[in-house]
Amino acid sequence: MAQAILDSKNELAGRVAEGPVDAVRKGLGDWLFLAPAIIFFVGYQVWPIVRVLWLSFTNFEFLSDKPAQWVGFANYAQALQDPLMWASLGRAALFTIMFLPGTIILPLLLAILVDRVGNQRLATLYRVILLIPAVIPSTLIFVLWKWMYNYQSGPINHLLVNVFGLFTLQNAPQWLGGTALTLPAIAIMEIWWGLGYHTIFFIAGLAAIPKELPDAARIDGAGEWQVFWHVTRPQLAPIMMILVVLRFGSAMAVIDEYLIFGGFNRASPTYTWTMFMYDQAFKTGLWRQGYAAAIGMIGAIAMMFVMAGLIWVFRPKG
Amino acid sequence: MTLEADHAEITNLRDEGASSAGGSALRHVVINLFNLIIVLPLAWVLMLSVKSLPDAARGDFWPKRFDFTHYGFVFQHIATLPINLFNSIYVTAATVLLTTTCAVLAGYALVHIKPIGAGLVVTALLVSLYFPVRVVSIISIYETQHWLGLINHTSGLILPYITLQLAISILIMRSMFQLVPHEMFESARIDGAGHWRALWEVGLPMVRNGLVVIFIVNFVAAWGEYLLCLTLIDDEAKRTMPVVLAAAQGGQGQWAWPNLAAVYVIVVTPGIIAFTFAQRLFFKGLLEGALKG
Amino acid sequence: MSGRSEQEQLFREVARRELAAGRIDRRDFLTRSLLTGLGAAGVGAVARSGIESAFAADSRPLTPTFYQWIQDLHPAIPEVNKRFPGINYQIAPVEGFGIERFVAEAKNKQSTWDVYVGQTPFIEMTAFIKAGVIEPWDNYIPKEVIDDIIPSIRAECSVDGKLYSWPFLLDVIGSAWHSGITSKAGVPDAAPATWDEFLVSSKKIVDSKAAPWGATFDAHGWRSLVPVTHSMSTKVYTDGLFDFTSDPAIEALKLMKQIMAYSNPDILLEGSSDAGVNSTTDEIAFQAQRVGLYFKYFNSPLRMAASWDDPKLLHLGPLPKFTNGEGSTVFWTTGCALFKYGQNKEKAAEYIKALTYDQQIWKDSIVGTPGVHPGQLPPYKSIYADWDAKKPDWMPPFVGLVRSQLDRAKAIDNNLFGLQQFVIGKPIWETYLKGQEPDPKVAMTKVKEAVQAEIKKG
Repeated sequence: MAQAILDSKNELAGRVAEGPVDAVRKGLGDWLFLAPAIIFFVGYQVWPIVRVLWLSFTNFEFLSDKPAQWVGFANYAQALQDPLMWASLGRAALFTIMFLPGTIILPLLLAILVDRVGNQRLATLYRVILLIPAVIPSTLIFVLWKWMYNYQSGPINHLLVNVFGLFTLQNAPQWLGGTALTLPAIAIMEIWWGLGYHTIFFIAGLAAIPKELPDAARIDGAGEWQVFWHVTRPQLAPIMMILVVLRFGSAMAVIDEYLIFGGFNRASPTYTWTMFMYDQAFKTGLWRQGYAAAIGMIGAIAMMFVMAGLIWVFRPKG
Repeated sequence: MTLEADHAEITNLRDEGASSAGGSALRHVVINLFNLIIVLPLAWVLMLSVKSLPDAARGDFWPKRFDFTHYGFVFQHIATLPINLFNSIYVTAATVLLTTTCAVLAGYALVHIKPIGAGLVVTALLVSLYFPVRVVSIISIYETQHWLGLINHTSGLILPYITLQLAISILIMRSMFQLVPHEMFESARIDGAGHWRALWEVGLPMVRNGLVVIFIVNFVAAWGEYLLCLTLIDDEAKRTMPVVLAAAQGGQGQWAWPNLAAVYVIVVTPGIIAFTFAQRLFFKGLLEGALKG
Repeated sequence: MSGRSEQEQLFREVARRELAAGRIDRRDFLTRSLLTGLGAAGVGAVARSGIESAFAADSRPLTPTFYQWIQDLHPAIPEVNKRFPGINYQIAPVEGFGIERFVAEAKNKQSTWDVYVGQTPFIEMTAFIKAGVIEPWDNYIPKEVIDDIIPSIRAECSVDGKLYSWPFLLDVIGSAWHSGITSKAGVPDAAPATWDEFLVSSKKIVDSKAAPWGATFDAHGWRSLVPVTHSMSTKVYTDGLFDFTSDPAIEALKLMKQIMAYSNPDILLEGSSDAGVNSTTDEIAFQAQRVGLYFKYFNSPLRMAASWDDPKLLHLGPLPKFTNGEGSTVFWTTGCALFKYGQNKEKAAEYIKALTYDQQIWKDSIVGTPGVHPGQLPPYKSIYADWDAKKPDWMPPFVGLVRSQLDRAKAIDNNLFGLQQFVIGKPIWETYLKGQEPDPKVAMTKVKEAVQAEIKKG
């Protein structure tokens, strides 16, 4: 991704160097190839955000028959004074903290293990098994784990209560449904889901490392850990950055899982800023979509700041 | 050619000599432990789909009584099942096809045509990856769809679905096309081919592994999409299969758990089988630089 | 790819059948047929279908829209439709979502449909009225019909004396018990008359180990807090909002905590479908035959018992009372709303009358059909009177007992926050149920404040 940013700068520089008349004449015909993508991109990504941004400065209520009025930053002021705004942002951050390390470190570990498997058939088999969850649609992953975690009929508690006898029916863990365990439970599910997919990314990254590098280090007497830390890890840094930043983004903006697992219980750890936005926009009062838009923008902007920080931390060094 | 470097060769170069035999065994044990964690929940669903109703309400892995009638039941008694399945296949196929087309054209244009403003486009695409567009835009996407008269039309889902992974798909194709030397297209065009033919005849074969990557990325996104389908489609007969499953009044009537599980197995299996065959190409695509996207 | 053309044929066939069944319109059919063959032609088809207006011309057949679950639960509805040739019967919004479409259309002074079957007054009627989506039935409903509605139900469906919801399916909160478990525990095979009896029986079930748990309930306010409160008194509303700090509400909360001593420990968790509201833990416990006593709207235990080893062990009865309780349970109806910008309004009234008086629907609902057992009851006095005069041989005893409660039962008042007040309040009153807040009055005062604060935001 860093590469892509650099490339885009180079291209921009290239454009300036050309003559303007030439470029315009050439440009019109050449945009034909870009047009389909741009139309969809603008229509369903750029415009909705612009529109939501505009709504966030109005008191638009969907069910109201009165026209919306411009209210300036009133929605933002109100949201920032609402303890629920801060609590809901904090919950999203909490989930991200639970989810992010596991979703990076476990696949990295697994990738290093699978990468060393010499038997070609076995390596392929491992890859296929690990990737099974990646081709199960997200919604069905949630349905699956809804069963897994079910207090009374789920296999996890069945194991804990009936097989291992660690708990009784009275005190078995309550995973989903708004308890303190709900976020870790969802994080485990997400890690399970992404395990194979991320592992494959790392395996591809490992395969791209020239074999001479670690070998040379070993000849110099480096241990396996030192090889990993000084040779492999820097080589994988670009992939790490992509995964960390993208997974941070998806973790902070989770909504489907919370809709399915936590409902609109405001005390539930799953009631994050995304749920707060959705609740206000489609469930509460006359559907305060102006206010909801402000909540959404606050959440998004907070995320962007952290992401910029992450990109800076993981920037390619040297 | 490095492009055609086979993963098998790379892997074969990596012997297990660096570590002891004991370490090797431990490695396989750990990997298989993870494999087990992956497979067990799915095995449990498979079992659930052949349990009797009272057994399904309990947690036992092995039921007191097997009941294999659920698969037949869901097709005979859930009238909307083939319709929802069809909706899913239809929306997913259209989404994958259209997104791939858009991404290939755009990726080619960004690298080998370089129209004015290309840099801006790339920057906008990159920014969109970091912004939680999907969540925040739901309020106004509803408005747009209503304006187009597409609320409650299964076909209407395709438009927002195209953009679910459009940015990443374009960036992946762009990385792929960057690997193809500019001269190859130049020479094709000197021979009289336009951009279209150059792309079709020279470009596509060169980026086919990247195509597999974006096929799969878009397939997974469209096949499992929940929020938009839930919000934009009210009619159960017009929804996609996963959304119907997630909203099914869990556990009772036609959606009794074993029935749900049977549908689950039916929906999940084709994807797994298809992927088993495509995974080699997918992996090559990643190796060739899709990762850079 | 040898199987491909075969698959295409299959998809076309599915689309064709859907078209015949009226599930998709011609345009969708065309689009799909084209896209099944795929290719760029499909893009054009999608674009065309979008630009075209979704609204039909001025005159059209009667167009009702039903919730999916209503059709699923009441298979006799298509029979009624046969008596209305040309009716454009549609299934539209899925439960819990979809009313935004009605509102969006009403803003353009349009409506795709004429009548909406699926409106629950306390949940959505106020919003519909405020958004100008629906109009009262009074000009269209025959006088003898409106007078035939049980008075408490008529009150539920009326705002300012006008009937905005023509009631159809009545859900009442009542008792249910697993008679296999109760008899094993030596507990009477009858609905407990009072909450004290309810607690005694629950304890016996647990002590005798007849089941792991004695009793359970659905923790959502309108399914537990409100019915228990109503069983003491129904005078617990101010300006359309529930009086959380009233004595009956406090007593109800205290009772819920007492019941929880004998209930499944996960009782307060959110359910796992429809944003936490359905597939709740009480249902799962009852379905797993792990709990003896239960109270909820009858459809729920009937659905759960279908998974039992012997569904006949389920017995139903009225809700218990407090010893000096003067009130009675809570109910809600699922009714029909008349779209302000719809058409065929007289015809709609005729249709809804035929639908709501249909004997087959009521028999199926009470007795159950091979597929489903809704347990929903009719809203009219005359239907019960007829059954009283000549008791049908299929009639179970609980219906009469529940009917006798209805005169003193009450629905939740209509308010824009009719449902929301309980969603907002639930986590707060649960601090008492979980033991984090020792004083129920303090917890309920906080609930009241939170609801007021939320309303003020608007």
